[in-house]
Amino acid sequence: MALSVDRTAHGGATRMLDRTRTLPALLLILPSLVLCLWIIGYPIYDVAHTSLHSVNRFGVVRNFAGFANFEKLFDDPIFYGSLWRTILWTVTVVGGTILLSIPIAVMLNDDFFGRGVARVIVMLPWAISLAMTAIVWRWSLNGQYGMFNATLFQLGLIDGPVEWLASFDTAFPIEIAIGILVSIPFTSTVLLGGLSSIPADVYEAATIDGATGWQRFRYMTLPLMKPFLQIAIVLNVINVFNSFPIIWVLTQGEPANSTDILVTYLYKLAFRYGRLDTAAAMSLIMFAILLLFTAAYIALAARSTEREA
Amino acid sequence: MNRRLAVMMSGVAATALLALSPAFAQSKTEIRVIVAHYSDHTMGIFQGMESDFEAAHPDVDIKLEDVSWDNLQQRLTTDIAGGTAPDIAIIGTRWLLDYAANDIAEPIDEYMTPEFKAKFIEAFLEPSVIDGVTYGLPIAASARAMYYNKDLLANAGFNEPPKTWDEVVKAAQAVKDKGEGAYGFGMQGKEIETDIYWYYALWTHGGELVQDGKSGIDSEAGVKAATLYKSMIDQGLTQPSPTGSNRQDMESLFKQGRAAMILSGPWLRGQIKSEAPNLNYALAPIPVGTTQATYGVTDTIMIFKSSEHKDVAWQFLEETAFSDKHRVEFSKKEGFLPVMKAEAADPTFANDEQLQAFTGMLPYAKFAPLIPNWELASDAATAALQRIYQGQAEPQAALTEAAEKINEAIQE
Repeated sequence: MALSVDRTAHGGATRMLDRTRTLPALLLILPSLVLCLWIIGYPIYDVAHTSLHSVNRFGVVRNFAGFANFEKLFDDPIFYGSLWRTILWTVTVVGGTILLSIPIAVMLNDDFFGRGVARVIVMLPWAISLAMTAIVWRWSLNGQYGMFNATLFQLGLIDGPVEWLASFDTAFPIEIAIGILVSIPFTSTVLLGGLSSIPADVYEAATIDGATGWQRFRYMTLPLMKPFLQIAIVLNVINVFNSFPIIWVLTQGEPANSTDILVTYLYKLAFRYGRLDTAAAMSLIMFAILLLFTAAYIALAARSTEREA
Repeated sequence: MNRRLAVMMSGVAATALLALSPAFAQSKTEIRVIVAHYSDHTMGIFQGMESDFEAAHPDVDIKLEDVSWDNLQQRLTTDIAGGTAPDIAIIGTRWLLDYAANDIAEPIDEYMTPEFKAKFIEAFLEPSVIDGVTYGLPIAASARAMYYNKDLLANAGFNEPPKTWDEVVKAAQAVKDKGEGAYGFGMQGKEIETDIYWYYALWTHGGELVQDGKSGIDSEAGVKAATLYKSMIDQGLTQPSPTGSNRQDMESLFKQGRAAMILSGPWLRGQIKSEAPNLNYALAPIPVGTTQATYGVTDTIMIFKSSEHKDVAWQFLEETAFSDKHRVEFSKKEGFLPVMKAEAADPTFANDEQLQAFTGMLPYAKFAPLIPNWELASDAATAALQRIYQGQAEPQAALTEAAEKINEAIQE
């Protein structure tokens, strides 16, 4: 009883304090708020405006086109192909990255000789730009004089040049594999951060109670890491969905658009074909897809903090 | 004491600078030139032009910007859209139609005296003319020819280069049968110019890219050309899986002596000279199907309508950029064909036998047709060819589908 009265009084005081402080506080953050809204809002407005008009290569807005640009896109088989491959690409790259990053993070969390060096080695690729990594891979995968074929040849696994990037069947899985490889450093760092926040005595207690290594991982590590896994998944989805350099450098979406994903096809539409209006419509669609993921991210984050509290 | 002096001195210097610099900026006419990056020589050549022109016109400041071909179109469209277009730029002639149709390129007929016009080789001036209006000058020109490895062909029993596609197939078969690990015919199947590599076959079989305002790639000639290339791939006369080889990959094979015949432009001569000086090769015309043809390419240097100093910009082109001295230097260092008669007469070009293999083909050279959406048409053709080369589609079906897409793009 006394407690509840106390709480109300306290709450009332806070509200009083709020009212006298809200206005100046709002005024103080107003400039940055306006700037933020403008920086985020204006491009969205501009893209939406472009997508509803007929716009030429040089950005000159001509007449209102309604949804013609969207219709053009929905009539385009390459758009659907790219959309399907974007999903395939995002799911496999993010899935593969998470599956590989968990054991890597667990291993790096264990204390062993040379752990510092091992951590640096895992993180190091992060420092190299994606485009550079992709170029090195393109050289390595060259059918005639690439390192990759040379190695396979010396091991006796192939008896002639294999052009890995010449068809979808080999090129796309390779691109996915490289996508996974470059996403691991970031993801395992996030997961490692999560792991090191789990106190060691919990494990000690479990071990004394007779939990096996697998049980400890399945029923302790995984649930405790859940918020970190969610963050890693959502950030990776946004990142991989928009990832341009690997596919562009390796195949430019070729042969015959078979490795195009939305973002590479978007680049072609806008800057090669000069279809700024259709490209704007397409980026709006991509924005909507990512918005769904971001909403999911916020929902997930809210739910996990709720549970913690 | 010393410090006070230093402060005073710097104050005086700053005042002087402030007073002087706007005066300088106002009195000089600034001409911005976007230079496409052909090679590492390009900027040096243009800097030579800049200093010559500025010496003759001290009131003009030429500002050069080096832009790579990959970024050029994107860079220019962004500049134009943002209202910061340069005064002069080099562009691919195939883009010119868009620039003319959108009122961005300045017609230059009024600036050009008949004497100046007469200095050009007619065939190269032509591609920059749209509906009788000239929109630019040819800054670079090239044609394509067949490079062949003399040793590989001689070992296979061919002392003369193949003249027809039938002979190419026979020679390639002989090179393959010899079993030295070399490929008969280099085939390009990836990235920029994959379609061009096939247009050679289309044109030499009597086809046209555009006929009566429609795409001609699905014509009988087109199907024949695609069937020819596909059969060469299937018989192992080319390197395996050509959809993995872009132009550089294919040219590397030739430089390494691992491809007996490839089709390429004059730049390859320069590369062979520095990278594979011992390669025993020669040049021959593009093989014939039913008729002779090659691909002629020009790049255009144009003046922007938005420029405030079009007269000065023109002066720069006429007096300096297209002076005999700078033209010879440009074409020689970049390995292009002469576009002006005086250049062609210069001993460097007149005595160059290999170059004559290219210039000899000019009378029947095909230039890229001036159609809107060229890049889209080019990609549609490339995608169709890649499906044919991979065996995912029959030539007739794939080409018809691509032609329909191109027709839509042309008629827009």
